[in-house]
Amino acid sequence: MEITTTDMGLVARVQNLTKSYGRAAGEVTALRDVTLGIRRGEFTAIMGPSGSGKSTLMHIMAGLDSPTGGRVWLGDAEIGGLGDTQLTLLRRRRVGFVFQSFNLVPTLDVAGNILLPFELDGRRPNAQEKAWVDQLIAALGLGPRLKHRPHELSGGQQQRVAIARALATRPELVFADEPTGNLDSRTGREVLSLLSTASRDYGQSIAMVTHDPVAASYADRILFLADGVVVDDRPRQSAEEISRTMLAMESAA
Amino acid sequence: MSGARGTAALRGHASSITVATLSTAFGVALLQVTGFLGALITKDPAAGRSTETLPLMLSILALVFIAISIYVGAVVTANTFATIVAGRARTIALLRLIGDSAQAQRRGIAREGITVGVIGALLGVVIGTAFAVGLDRLAVATSTIPDIGYGLGWLNPVVVVPMVAVVLTTWAASWIGSRRVLAVTPLQAIGGAQEAGREELVRRPTRTVTAIVLFVLGTAVLLLGVGIGLISPFGVLIGIVGGILSFSGLIAGAHLIMPPALRLVGRLFGRAPTARLASENALRYPERSSRTTIGVVIGVTLITMFGVAIASFSDMIHAAQADQPEVYAGTDTILTAIQAVFSVLVGFSALIAAVGLVNNLSLSVVQRTRELGLLRALGFSVRQLRTMITVESAQLTGTAVLVGLVLGAFYGWCGAQSLLGSINGSPGLVLPGVPWTLLAVIVVAAALLTWVASLAPAHRATRVAPVTALAVD
Repeated sequence: MEITTTDMGLVARVQNLTKSYGRAAGEVTALRDVTLGIRRGEFTAIMGPSGSGKSTLMHIMAGLDSPTGGRVWLGDAEIGGLGDTQLTLLRRRRVGFVFQSFNLVPTLDVAGNILLPFELDGRRPNAQEKAWVDQLIAALGLGPRLKHRPHELSGGQQQRVAIARALATRPELVFADEPTGNLDSRTGREVLSLLSTASRDYGQSIAMVTHDPVAASYADRILFLADGVVVDDRPRQSAEEISRTMLAMESAA
Repeated sequence: MSGARGTAALRGHASSITVATLSTAFGVALLQVTGFLGALITKDPAAGRSTETLPLMLSILALVFIAISIYVGAVVTANTFATIVAGRARTIALLRLIGDSAQAQRRGIAREGITVGVIGALLGVVIGTAFAVGLDRLAVATSTIPDIGYGLGWLNPVVVVPMVAVVLTTWAASWIGSRRVLAVTPLQAIGGAQEAGREELVRRPTRTVTAIVLFVLGTAVLLLGVGIGLISPFGVLIGIVGGILSFSGLIAGAHLIMPPALRLVGRLFGRAPTARLASENALRYPERSSRTTIGVVIGVTLITMFGVAIASFSDMIHAAQADQPEVYAGTDTILTAIQAVFSVLVGFSALIAAVGLVNNLSLSVVQRTRELGLLRALGFSVRQLRTMITVESAQLTGTAVLVGLVLGAFYGWCGAQSLLGSINGSPGLVLPGVPWTLLAVIVVAAALLTWVASLAPAHRATRVAPVTALAVD
């Protein structure tokens, strides 16, 4: 009997994960034998310079890309070998996404975008889910914007909508890919506070990929990646400490 | 990335070249055939006194059909260019950023338009002539007509008319279609990839007023024609003028009619997320959707018009036949033949419009790659994506065909009523006749078009990897 992800207090984990692109001479290895777990209910930052493999790691953990070797779990389900249909259902029901470029559906209004995950599932939110969505809309200050379309909103507002959409179905894990990359620093800080609040107050597990030490300083835990390997695993740190770690990694390389 | 954009642009032009070629080939073939028939009739003593007028009549009729197909071709090309320009916005913005002027960019696109037109005209003259020669050989081989040794007659200078017309209209279409180049700002090259949600309709008060005036005036004249038709068959001449005016008004006002029609038809597909997204997509660029569909509307309207007019003729004649059977003997066969010929001739412009529709849907899917990736990342299944594209296609064709059927039935009935309302034994006002066979053909053709138009884009859409949504360009 194998110990399950849940027994470990984790929401997702990878074991001996390897990912390489191309073949033979042109082969590029993005991840080498990575083993790590994302803890349930925590806000985890995955840090690393560009090319460190952090985005690849996230794509594989979210079922957007397939591993070359090793095993991947989301909750207690192993997802490494799932087919497209099962991965589609997994993304629909069990994970949420917040993207750098917001990625709202331009033809739908704010309400339509937030409720999209339910619609994709062919259902309407039940009373409990409805109450949760209303709570999110109020907490994110989107009430007056529900009938607006994405292009009528500022970047910060668009990212709030994306966060509401990601949290709406209460997924097991929300993946955030450089969520502040396209925002000014003040709006960026607001978005980060919202994510850390979601984790602290609602117990939402969040995995955020970033190369920005300020963004990572909002997380409960920081995993450092370099050249496809996890090089460090730290609890919450200040932006200054994170910067020092990053610089140390640079000079060690 | 530039590779993908290059292919998309090439694909866009391939379709415009096809359209220009089809328009030219149609025009050339029609003129060659009428020229040949003219020569045949002159040599045939049986034709007697009509030798003078018949070739002229044929030529005028041919020119009308050629004008329709070239017009539809131009609308389609303008649309294709507009779509290509939208897809190139970032490149255009980049060139603007490093100091190119918008006017120069637009002239560049218009030059591409001339090239497309010239290539299409050259291909078209060859194909059209080859078709006419082949038809002649076939008819001679089957002894349908005598061999008159037309020979050098095929080098008919009149074919230059459709060639020049196609080059000029393609050029003009590329100029009109590239209008949005002027709206691209250099900032778009560095700004976020955020796409404006929905293109706002450009307000064009002059065009709107012209359209409304034409339509109202035309319809009034048309109804006057119908009224006069109750007393005299000359009512049809007034009716034709009114019909042309009011239909021109409708075409000019496509941007007023098609978006609401699309929205209405979109509702019929239900509230499922696939259908809702599809319906919104079809309305995302109202200008583009209007132009995409209006070509099909023109084709279907004209085909239906002839169909309904002839079916109504038949109904009235059958009513009249009860009184005087000998007068109307043999009319049914002639009417069926006329309907077949007209349907084929008008059907050709519908074919050109269909090419435009297929191409437009294709391009718009190429330009939505990131959004499709997003839907996949959020849990849209491959099947849902495919359904979405098919519904989008069905909405465009369905709307165009429905509008065309309604308009065609109205104009056709007006035609029949104004021509035959006063004949002996006619019951005065009649209900429009329904050409059932023709309707069935149109519905089947629409279903086929829906399917064909969604084939390539659906295939492409399902190959979009969900990771595409996360890419930052």
